Amino acid sequence: MANLSNGENMITASKHLVALFVDRFSRQWIVRDPEGRFWIVPSVENGWDHRQSLYPTEESALEPVPGQYIYMLDLPF
Amino acid sequence: MNAEQKRLEESGEQKAPWKKWGPYLSERQWGTVREDYSESGDAWNYFTHDQARSRAYRWGEDGLAGISDDQQRLCFALALWNGKDPILKERLFGLTNSESNHGEDVKEYYFYLDSTPTHSYMKYLYKYPQAAYPYSKLVETSRRRGRNEMEYELLDTGVFDDNRYFDVFVEYAKASPEDILIQISIHNRGTDPAELNVLPTLWLRNLWSWGGHPDKPALQQLAGATGQCVVKAVDAKLGERYFYCDGDASLLFTENETNTQRIFGVPNRSSFVKDSINDYIVHGQEGAVNPERKGTKVAAQYRLTVNPGQCQVVRLRLSDVPPASASTFGSQFEEVLHARREEADEFYKVIIPASLNSDQGNVIRQALAGMLLSKQFYNYDVDKWLEERGCDPFKPTRKAAPRNDQWHHMYNGDVISMPDKWEYPWYAAWDLAFHVIALTLVDPDFGKDQLKLMLRERYMHPNGQIPAYEWNFGDVNPPVHAWSTIFTYLLEKIQKGEGDREWLKSSFQKLLLNFTWWVNRKDRSGRNVFEGGFLGLDNIGVFDRSAPLPTGGYLEQADGTAWMALFCENMMQIAAELAMTDPEYADMGVKFIEHFLWIASSMTHLGNDTGMWDEEDGFFYDVLCLPDGQTQRLKVRSMVGLLPFCAATVFDGKVLAKYPEMQERIRQFLQARPEIRAAIHDPAKLGVADRRLASILDETKLRRVLAKMLDENEFLSPYGLRSLSRYHADHPYIFVADGREYRVSYLPAESDTGMFGGNSNWRGPIWMPVNALIIRALLQYYTYFGNEFTVECPTGSGRQMNLYQVAEEISHRLANIFLKGEDGRRPVYGGARKFQEDPHWRDLILFYEYFHGDNGAGLGASHQTGWTGVIARAMHLFATSTAEEFLGLGAKAGIVKVEPAQKRRRTRAAKKEVAV
Repeated sequence: MANLSNGENMITASKHLVALFVDRFSRQWIVRDPEGRFWIVPSVENGWDHRQSLYPTEESALEPVPGQYIYMLDLPF
Repeated sequence: MNAEQKRLEESGEQKAPWKKWGPYLSERQWGTVREDYSESGDAWNYFTHDQARSRAYRWGEDGLAGISDDQQRLCFALALWNGKDPILKERLFGLTNSESNHGEDVKEYYFYLDSTPTHSYMKYLYKYPQAAYPYSKLVETSRRRGRNEMEYELLDTGVFDDNRYFDVFVEYAKASPEDILIQISIHNRGTDPAELNVLPTLWLRNLWSWGGHPDKPALQQLAGATGQCVVKAVDAKLGERYFYCDGDASLLFTENETNTQRIFGVPNRSSFVKDSINDYIVHGQEGAVNPERKGTKVAAQYRLTVNPGQCQVVRLRLSDVPPASASTFGSQFEEVLHARREEADEFYKVIIPASLNSDQGNVIRQALAGMLLSKQFYNYDVDKWLEERGCDPFKPTRKAAPRNDQWHHMYNGDVISMPDKWEYPWYAAWDLAFHVIALTLVDPDFGKDQLKLMLRERYMHPNGQIPAYEWNFGDVNPPVHAWSTIFTYLLEKIQKGEGDREWLKSSFQKLLLNFTWWVNRKDRSGRNVFEGGFLGLDNIGVFDRSAPLPTGGYLEQADGTAWMALFCENMMQIAAELAMTDPEYADMGVKFIEHFLWIASSMTHLGNDTGMWDEEDGFFYDVLCLPDGQTQRLKVRSMVGLLPFCAATVFDGKVLAKYPEMQERIRQFLQARPEIRAAIHDPAKLGVADRRLASILDETKLRRVLAKMLDENEFLSPYGLRSLSRYHADHPYIFVADGREYRVSYLPAESDTGMFGGNSNWRGPIWMPVNALIIRALLQYYTYFGNEFTVECPTGSGRQMNLYQVAEEISHRLANIFLKGEDGRRPVYGGARKFQEDPHWRDLILFYEYFHGDNGAGLGASHQTGWTGVIARAMHLFATSTAEEFLGLGAKAGIVKVEPAQKRRRTRAAKKEVAV
């Protein structure tokens, strides 16, 4: 059996899945990056360059959008 | 060899891609599992018809009377607007599962009129009302109706009253594999002139929005054309194509991109989105379409006024030929169209037996048109789909998927025969095996490819399971793949003089995996008795057979076990065929003979003396095995109990003659286990022409089952065999568990429960595929027992028939569902007067999913030509074979075709012989 104590990569550091949401109230895309941070991404060319940070609260009504729409925003990850 | 046969040959030899373009566009992509990214898996309500015009699809496209290439990169379909509808008619409308009182149902009138197998010619008809389409009325009225009421149909709304509608015929004719002529003929059937916007639409499937496809394709208008408009399409893989629109049309360009404003409430990055043409036409939004005349979706706008009783024609052409000085729409257009029509007639003249009358020929031709026009490009990368949902099976942060997360190996991207491109626009494993039986009448290569596909590693699970359907690939469908395989092999062998042995060998290996999956997963006790759950028969049982039983315990299923007996027989057939040249298959033949004997005998003597055979009733039933070890037969007389009858196959003994050691091993096996011989038909007993019969039923049991099956008060209806005995109309089967009553009554029409979506019913109606299997079994028994074995048909009638005649009688009854009776009415249309009487409707045939158990009216999915199309094979079979021929050829009969005159003479002779 392999020496598990030396297996430093046996446990992957937990990363968040990149996810896309829509905030229908503010009519904006919200992106969760791999570090788990939330960003408002405007619906313009190179929207990611114009992102603003967001700190969702319990009141935030973020509606998940299917993963394939992430490509629509030309995100860098 | 006629022109279409030559095209088929060129296509088969890969000399010319005649099948590259075809009717591969779905009729419904919205509301499918593939497009569903909801947390709960509510596919119908996640991506709705209302969204479809505005939201780009992820996995496929849909449209009206459309075509695409075989990878669906470029699509063409028809859009219409009568000036009154709230939206363009770009796709068929229907009710979702929860909106209708009997499950999902398309609410449109459209007909598959003709198609050659290479799609060199196709004809489709759509009936478009001139008044506003009653979207809300259909939804609201249907929602109010209960399960015991009939469905609310489009004709019931009155929108077709006074014939205020257009008949829109769409014809396709291929000048070459890449040059497709399109003619749209619009007839005004009403009494007043009526305006219509005809919008032939070309678009590119959106592959660029989802990552991994950097080369965005494009459409752009070419300048300088006179008397026509031309759009150039450029796609990295497809190359360049030209879309020619005859006459004075306006080209309206937009992008096949989601209208995020409408769908998500977020402003669009570009103002040109999927529904912009709709907004331009219906809402008069001038700026909605791209003034630069480019995009990824374009419609040619023809504004027509059609006078009553008149017809106007729109011509188009989709081609790889760039614009030239020669006219695209000159006399050559008409000549090609005319030639393809004639070649289609010529092709079907060979297929449709001359002994059939014109009405019978019409039924066969429309059945085959439906089969061919139900081909669809089916695209589903399950791994990618799971990943996009955040359910990647190899990521630690994964969420649970609502379905199919055990099937991440699957990558489907092929043209597949669908059960119904609106109601069931996804493949279904056991349906497909039946489709092949009909499709091989016109295109054996396509049939073979379909069977091959399901066994490929991109489809079949690594554990050997064949995928059922997208709602749950892990569901269990009856194992009929091996039957369809040996049928298709023998067909080709007889037609070409040589079978495709390499294909058969390869299929055998994969089918072995599937067989082993069944044995290891569905035989709980290891006693050769099988479960399987609902096994495609939806609500046939007392309980939902796929759910935990209310009593606890489990079911030993008569159908599951019978299917496995048939599977063994088919594997024996394949092994025997291969063993004639490859000795190593002889051993596998013995293995399957022994396995068949174990399974067949277990049906009658297992379960603490509670076998599936009920001696008192003379019928097979499921056996309920309770947790305390007690067992009980569930005495529902249904198709479940007729399936053991279907597990019958005749063998000619050639392989045993070639390998005497094989025969010796079987002899020793049977000698050591006399109880097996006593329980079933004695496999050593020789029949006509020294044939052997593998059958669960011995002669006594066979006669008893036949007596019930052919009794008009039980299974035999005027239109084929019912799925549940009529006996239960007066004698419902009642089972009480935990104080709750479970009841099975004879329901000849729609289901009265929501079990399995409530959109199909196996408690009385007539289903084509199982009738086809029964006809097959009757012919097998006939070739073994011969003319001396006769039964009363119908039971109690005093008419004696041999089993060939019984099979023919059932086939005729089934065909009568679709044929005009002496009163000029087609039973399939029941009380629908428009269909029965109107000259523009009465010869249009719909091949429904199932049929009323007493009057033959069509029920369920209206365009399930899929397995109902098997009627074409049945009608063909009895028009081209004779009883004598069956006796002479055995298992090969029904594949060889005889001359019509010979058929008539021989049938009379055979009947005389029986009468003597």
